[in-house]
Amino acid sequence: MKNTTNIDILECDVIVVGSGGTGSQAVQAVAEEGLNVIVISKDPMSSSDTKICEGVMTVRESGDIKDTESVLSENIKLAGADLPDEKITSAFAKDSKEAYDRLRMNGLRPSINKDTEKPKTLAIAMGGHNKSRSVGHKNSGLAFGHNIWDTIIKYKNVKYIEDCWFLEIIKSDNNKLSNDNKNIVVGGLAYDACRGKLLIIKSKTVILASGGLSTLFFPKTDTMRGNTGDSYALAIRAGADLLDMEQIQFLPFCLASPPSYEGLLAGEPATASFLGVLRDNNNKIILDSVYLRTRAECSEAIMRAVEDGRGSPNGGAYLDMTANKLAPKSGEYFMKYLKGALPSAYNNARQALGKKAGNAEEPWEIRPGAHYSMGGVRVDEYAKAFKTSKDINNPEEIKGLYAAGQAMGGLFGANRLGSTSLTELAVFGYRAGKSAADYAKKEKITFDDRDFDESIKYYDNLFGSNGVEKIYKLKLEFQKECWNNIGPARSEKKLKKIITYIEKLEKKVKNVKINLERKWNQQFIDYIELKNMIYTAKSVALASLKRDKSVGGHVRLDRRASSIFSKPYSTVVNFDSRLGFKVTKLPRTRTEFKRLIIYKINEKSRLLKARILRYLPLNIRDSIIEKKYKKILGENKKVIKIEPGSSAAAPGESQNITY
Amino acid sequence: MEKDEFITLKLELFRDNKKKYVEYNYIKRDFDERPMALDVLLQAQENEIDDLAFRYGCRARNCGVCTIDVNDKPRLACRARVKDGDKISPIATLPKIKDFVVKRDGISRQMQGYNNISIKNNLNVEADHSYHNLTSCIECYACLDGCPLHKKNNLEEINNNPYTYGNPFSFLKLQRLYLDPLTPEKEKETIIEKAKSLGLETYKKEYNNLKIKCGVGINLKDEVIKPLLKVAFGDQIEKKNK
Ligand SMILES: Cc1cc2nc3c(=O)[nH]c(=O)nc-3n(C[C@H](O)[C@H](O)[C@H](O)COP(=O)(O)OP(=O)(O)OC[C@H]3O[C@@H](n4cnc5c(N)ncnc54)[C@H](O)[C@@H]3O)c2cc1C
Ligand code: SF4
Ligand code: FES
Repeated sequence: MKNTTNIDILECDVIVVGSGGTGSQAVQAVAEEGLNVIVISKDPMSSSDTKICEGVMTVRESGDIKDTESVLSENIKLAGADLPDEKITSAFAKDSKEAYDRLRMNGLRPSINKDTEKPKTLAIAMGGHNKSRSVGHKNSGLAFGHNIWDTIIKYKNVKYIEDCWFLEIIKSDNNKLSNDNKNIVVGGLAYDACRGKLLIIKSKTVILASGGLSTLFFPKTDTMRGNTGDSYALAIRAGADLLDMEQIQFLPFCLASPPSYEGLLAGEPATASFLGVLRDNNNKIILDSVYLRTRAECSEAIMRAVEDGRGSPNGGAYLDMTANKLAPKSGEYFMKYLKGALPSAYNNARQALGKKAGNAEEPWEIRPGAHYSMGGVRVDEYAKAFKTSKDINNPEEIKGLYAAGQAMGGLFGANRLGSTSLTELAVFGYRAGKSAADYAKKEKITFDDRDFDESIKYYDNLFGSNGVEKIYKLKLEFQKECWNNIGPARSEKKLKKIITYIEKLEKKVKNVKINLERKWNQQFIDYIELKNMIYTAKSVALASLKRDKSVGGHVRLDRRASSIFSKPYSTVVNFDSRLGFKVTKLPRTRTEFKRLIIYKINEKSRLLKARILRYLPLNIRDSIIEKKYKKILGENKKVIKIEPGSSAAAPGESQNITY
Repeated sequence: MEKDEFITLKLELFRDNKKKYVEYNYIKRDFDERPMALDVLLQAQENEIDDLAFRYGCRARNCGVCTIDVNDKPRLACRARVKDGDKISPIATLPKIKDFVVKRDGISRQMQGYNNISIKNNLNVEADHSYHNLTSCIECYACLDGCPLHKKNNLEEINNNPYTYGNPFSFLKLQRLYLDPLTPEKEKETIIEKAKSLGLETYKKEYNNLKIKCGVGINLKDEVIKPLLKVAFGDQIEKKNK
């Protein structure tokens, strides 16, 4: 294989795929070791979910010195319905402080609490978190965006290539390093769109820091366009196990119209406040006490109405907060609360739905939207990727492959608590970098050009494919199918339907038109993204089928909620080019019964109290609520910002162990 | 099709190293819809030009990648409403790759290593609001329009080389670092040297005629350029400008 007009050959110690928060922390870890890094990103450098997020981050001990490692670790595991891997939650808790300080060394500047000499946390502990430990930042994710950018361009030994799509992880056929010689990474392939070249990158290691999958549901998502599931597709094609892929977090209250705002966040369960309810198209209440419900419960109510033909015109339902507004005494406080609690979400809703809706004088049309993937590449606490050969409990390492951030699985299980993803990327991005650097320093590998031959030929030949199908159309149609069948409302029938759909789609994809042009070939780009979406969606569907009870961020219309007596397990999906997809259950350890029961009782009693409140005489109710607002709003009547996707935003989530 | 069911826009594409004009009839989804430029591009790709190349990310004015020119002025496609007869083209201030996609990284490359300095150890120091005002920048490059310095760069060539001359964004980056309470005094000289090497002096000469506008409303002249000029060249600029 030689440099040709269409192909460039590069070499480095570590390839980092993705320039979001995870990528930047991996880059830093490797660069500090003096090794050569190539960081590749399909979006312009630092433009990522990390840059557009709300910027609230979990920092252990920031709000309470009793916040020990075991307290935090257990909190994450319980919230995730016992699906998380304890080694990984422990690593998260162990590193969270120093990971945060590293970002601060790079220029992240939180407000400081003058009394404690520590970063200021949000004034109330976020729901779901058992301690106050969430730190907010001015300009939200943009503060992180600058941080990432500064980190990546800081080091001489880092080369970055943006507008570049990573296509495939290449493993060796010829190395004699281990018995299973197919299990060693030797580099990767990429498409440099601006220069119109395919890149062969020889490298002992690849770190997947390439984010999530929410674009499967476009436009019903609030995340970046690039979340086409590349992390998962790349990993599973390289033989890695994927964990808990059915666990996708949907936010229940995203906008359903107008088109320019579709999918963006409008509010969270907490937005509904004390008297907000959900209504269907017939104006019937489909869920009360919304503010105490979990996101899954809200999504379930909405999606059941839609399935029954009682949905709103754009396939959602109505969030009706007018009762809050009409209350004589507390109404005024409600408006302050509504505007201040989630300012960016409120602004989206106000702009999209108009003034009357903005004043809570009419209900908001809302619909769930995809936000985050809890599942991902099976890794250990050092971010090393694993595959199952024989025994599901004893997987083997894929040498030289790492995954971190939203790409990884095993940390959050069935539910991610608010503000934890930024910590996840800071902790495991850096760990992945250190693991890769250690390995690259130690191991010797002989590169053999033949390892790259098959893949490069495949991608090179795609240019000029002379079929009839329009790839962009196929992509849009597929996104609709994904929403309908592996979205927030699923059933066995739907899951089987998408699997059949995918089989047909795979045939169509073979017959697409891709023109010959090398420079920024949009059809080629759409092709490779659709290919990744297909692998990912199939993994989600298969994992969902393996889950026989309803657990986590979506609803199984045809299954009951998992009971307290059933044993927790994760799902594992893998792929082999000869044998196809395979899905298995991985048993997890269950938390003590005593604690689970306490959780359950707590949940019921909170809901009961809220119900009673609704049936009190109007004037008494109004006074009680007024008092409550005064307490939340504090002395200076300023509302404490809460993070979308967090559990403060869904206080009901704190007791979200629905076994 | 009734006239009021669609609006007609002129799309300026870039293909085979040439400009190519296409009229596109945007089909309104609502009688009174006033679409964003991004809606038009998305629909054009769906209905007619399936290989149309353009950038977007968040659809919510956060990621900064969707900048295009509407009637020759830089705008964020996801939040720029368009009307009948408007022209949409790639931003004029960066090298064109394909259709609406321009090459952006010459700017970040010119800043490589600019922040490789040691900072103070005590992290628990508060940054003031002038620092935070600057981190609201989304890196949309709208401010390249009208920048007398950036214009001097070779904007035709497509390679991975850094630009020689600076722009409001790169100065914003330097000023942010300068304002950072954790940047030691002695390192601040390095920052000013870097600003000078990017051609800050041109701003001194052209300060009064400088027409740069930030895509998200940061006051670039007062919050970035003026303070840098003041430290780099002393007080006389301010006086002269009055
Ligand atoms: C609106 C919103 C608000 C949020 N708020 C919070 C919050 O307040 N707190 C919190 O903790 N979490 C929050 N989250 C979640 C959090 O932002 C993300 O989970 C996290 O930033 C993911 O980081 P990452 O580095 O793993 O991926 P990303 O930041 O998404 O980066 C992925 C990178 O990979 C690149 N890439 C992908 N595929 C390829 C490929 N094939 N080739 C090359 N490059 C590729 C992309 O270009 C990008 O650079 C929020 C998310 C959203 C959408
Ligand atoms: S300074 Fe303003 S215009 Fe310039 S890149 Fe930043 S946000 Fe855009
Ligand atoms: S798409 Fe992100 S700013 Fe326009």
